[in-house]
Amino acid sequence: MRLDRELTCAQLVEVITDYLEGALAPVDVERVEEHLVFCDGCTTYLEQMRATVAMAGRLRAEDIPPELQERLLGTFREWRRL
Amino acid sequence: MAAPVIAYKFLDEGRVAPFTRYRWPEGEWVETPAAVPCEAGIHACRVADLPFWLGRELWEVELDGDVIAFERKVVAPRGRLTRRVEEWNRSLADEFAAALLVHTRRRFGSVPVLSGFVGDIAQFRATNRVPLAGFAAARAAELAGGPRAYEEERLRQAHWLADRLALGEH
Repeated sequence: MRLDRELTCAQLVEVITDYLEGALAPVDVERVEEHLVFCDGCTTYLEQMRATVAMAGRLRAEDIPPELQERLLGTFREWRRL
Repeated sequence: MAAPVIAYKFLDEGRVAPFTRYRWPEGEWVETPAAVPCEAGIHACRVADLPFWLGRELWEVELDGDVIAFERKVVAPRGRLTRRVEEWNRSLADEFAAALLVHTRRRFGSVPVLSGFVGDIAQFRATNRVPLAGFAAARAAELAGGPRAYEEERLRQAHWLADRLALGEH
């Protein structure tokens, strides 16, 4: 992938997971970070994503009550039908 | 033996790298196993790169080893902060934003659509969003003259900074 020289916020949101996982090409990392320098909104979004990943990463399957697991799975199944 | 390469780093308050959150020591060499742009190594700015990476603190950094030039940065396996560029502070950042405002108003103040950037830059200056003011000035230039005009405006900004901060060309 080679992102546009100037990313829009919407484009950054699309690649933020790849950015956090180190899956972007160096040239695209540069474009993301160049955007983050001046975009407070995307910087906040990145921080929220980092916090979410850190919190979710500590969860184990057995931490989720069975009834909540069922509700989540049901939601995901419905989601795929949209 | 190659001469040391002097470059620059914008850091957050307390010498903290904005993306990795690494707190830089002052004066001590920092080494990495390899220099790979955006992945590993000591990343720094040439003078022409400065407007893209504006931050709270500006430091001069000495690079050692094979220095790789990338689009808007250089990367090396070793580096150390040699001095803080004290002249880069909130007051000068505001002067920079003011200069952007004057320049953009002069070029596009009476041009339909593009004149809107003048108000944007004034607002960004008023709210201390100086990096965004620099980007807006370059975007106005780009809309008027294409991608090359964007780069030319960024280079003009770099020259302003180098002049006011008395930075050498490296």
